[in-house]
Amino acid sequence: MLYFHDYSCISPQPTYGNPVLGQLLASQESKLFAREPAYSGIPPGILRRMGKAVRIAIGAALPLMKDPAMGIIIGTANGGMEDCIKFLDQIIEYQEGMLTPGNFVQSTTNAIAAQLGLISKNKGYNITHVHRGLSFENALLDAIMITRENPAGHYLVGGVDEISSYDYNIECLAGWYRSHGIGNEHLYQWEGTGSLAGEGASMFRVSASPAGARAQLTGIRIFQGEDLTRVEDELSGLLAEPGMNGQHIDLLLSGENGDARMLPFYNTVEKFMQRDTAIARFKHMTGEFATASAVAAWLACHLLEKQELPDHMLKKGLVGKEIENILVYNTFKGRQHSFMQFSKPLPAI
Amino acid sequence: MSRIVVTGMGIISAIGDSAAKNRQSLSAGICGIGHIELFASRYAGILPCGEIKIPTDNLKQVLQSKEPGVTRTSLLALHAVREAISDAGLTPEEVSSAGTCLIGATTVGGMCLTDELYHDAHKDKEGSEYLSSYDCASVNMYLQEHLRLKGLINTINTACSSSANAIMYGARLLRNGFARRAIVGGVDSLAKFTINGFNALHILSGQICRPFDRDRSGLNLGEGAAFLVLEREQDVPHKKQLASLSGYCNANDAYHPSSLSDQGDGPYLAMKGALESAGLSSADIDFINAHGTATENNDLVESTSMLRLFGQVPSFCSSKSNTGHTLGAAGAIGAAYSILSLAHGEIYPSLGFEQPITQTGLKPATDYRQMHLEHVMSNSFGFGGNCTSLIFSKS
Repeated sequence: MLYFHDYSCISPQPTYGNPVLGQLLASQESKLFAREPAYSGIPPGILRRMGKAVRIAIGAALPLMKDPAMGIIIGTANGGMEDCIKFLDQIIEYQEGMLTPGNFVQSTTNAIAAQLGLISKNKGYNITHVHRGLSFENALLDAIMITRENPAGHYLVGGVDEISSYDYNIECLAGWYRSHGIGNEHLYQWEGTGSLAGEGASMFRVSASPAGARAQLTGIRIFQGEDLTRVEDELSGLLAEPGMNGQHIDLLLSGENGDARMLPFYNTVEKFMQRDTAIARFKHMTGEFATASAVAAWLACHLLEKQELPDHMLKKGLVGKEIENILVYNTFKGRQHSFMQFSKPLPAI
Repeated sequence: MSRIVVTGMGIISAIGDSAAKNRQSLSAGICGIGHIELFASRYAGILPCGEIKIPTDNLKQVLQSKEPGVTRTSLLALHAVREAISDAGLTPEEVSSAGTCLIGATTVGGMCLTDELYHDAHKDKEGSEYLSSYDCASVNMYLQEHLRLKGLINTINTACSSSANAIMYGARLLRNGFARRAIVGGVDSLAKFTINGFNALHILSGQICRPFDRDRSGLNLGEGAAFLVLEREQDVPHKKQLASLSGYCNANDAYHPSSLSDQGDGPYLAMKGALESAGLSSADIDFINAHGTATENNDLVESTSMLRLFGQVPSFCSSKSNTGHTLGAAGAIGAAYSILSLAHGEIYPSLGFEQPITQTGLKPATDYRQMHLEHVMSNSFGFGGNCTSLIFSKS
């Protein structure tokens, strides 16, 4: 369906460069901030003007941009939200007086894909999917289509969002984040509603060709609804697809996030799994955000390749044999849902 | 490859609240740009805009929208989507079947509520009813709920080319078998946020805009929505077809965050790619609905790249002179106007033009004219170098 040749991730854990996942890094004041590397490939003048979402996206993408790509496909719910509200502040506080346009230009959600195009002088396909908790999944679907349409081409696809102080306030007011509480190591023992805020940028170099691939996407389902039977129906539908049929799911990577309202969805999916399917979680590593599923996709690729599942991720069962198939299930606010199955690539012919 | 046909459309803009009224206004050369009346801004009497003179509460009444937290942007989208659905004769069962996808574009989303967003973002009051309504996705999340959609839903933002990309994306979903019919288009409402943003970039004009004129002085913002229903011809052999979507291409200028390169690589590649995907040559294009924002940069670069590709540039116009620049809706409104032109065999005048740009000498069409059209190109170029061209052909 879609082959992954290279991938890179900046997240609140040491996922960048040489990933070390065994030791869980702690949240700070109910937030999991991305660990930003020293950005060696970005000119300092440009780097200073970049908002965090643009910066981590470009940082994560740079290692994958040494080889040419035919286009850039980004999923982000909010893009440079911090710049957006900085500009909003100027409007209100200066009563629409003379404003500087820098924050405005950086605030548009397409600024990330645009900057990536600019830095890599890529004049190909360039698009930004902004469908909240399904932004990354829609970007992946786009990648599936475009690699079918251009089987010879490689594309960059990724998901990114930042914690902006303002978006954090809005999400707290709406009850999606808890501003007080215990840290990420106890995320799943919480009772009640709300999760931890997180951020990250995950980038993938993909194509329709298995030659040299390190992972592949074997199935995807994107849907919305608040009905548990819809989740069951979509999962049965996915498992019955020709590319999926008969494959054993070795690991379920669940987007459980400590919010009690989301548990029925995750429990429903867990109940569907075979008895020997191990279950792991990742939101204690990433926090909750609209494109956290992109980090899950990176984790799935990484786990398939390295076969090292840290203990702190494991919820149930054991991975007794080699992990060949990983199913990721994630819901954003119980209304947007996705399944993505990642598998070891077929040997190149 | 399956032929993609347009089976319905809906438009709301400063020159009319239906496709028929937009066509009337276009034919009569009506300009909908004037002073802002419906919201408070320091620029209300200074910077003309293409405002739809229907207050948000009236829109709610007309649309029977009773849900809390609904923004003007979502209502404008619903208005156009409803018209498109009814024009295409889709039954409620078809609308809410799993095969019907909705791909909507917007750049402003719920940020039209600039003041409410400010207070919620600073947590300086109790949360407002709009906490889940500010992002771009809020528009399509609302449409999904209101119209009980079960198929694939997606939101695209590539700045001013957003809804051209939504149309292209919907066609690709149909061709790749991910949907049976696609409701595609875009929307944006006027917002203090965008007025101040574009003003800070010094590209808003204090006069009514004059696309492709030598003495143009910038763009006027507008608001509106346009949606199309796309289906595969083989699935609807007996249905009325307004046009077919025969070509499309998305390319990037990769030059500057907020202006186009002198040679116009992005626009050139988008137009050229659209021709290639339609299997047409440049001589086959009878008319171009240009992006034509009336900024110094866009109109010069668009002219240069049209000359570069076409040599002999076909008739063209910019409907920004009627509606203002509707940002996330602009690509879909331009597409809808191109389809009207094809379906009725007529071209609409570009307003405000007097003298051609010295370097290029190109003159847009300035009179209403009946004309046989086979293929019409619709251009949309945006910040971030995001350029997309669509080609519609007579069915």
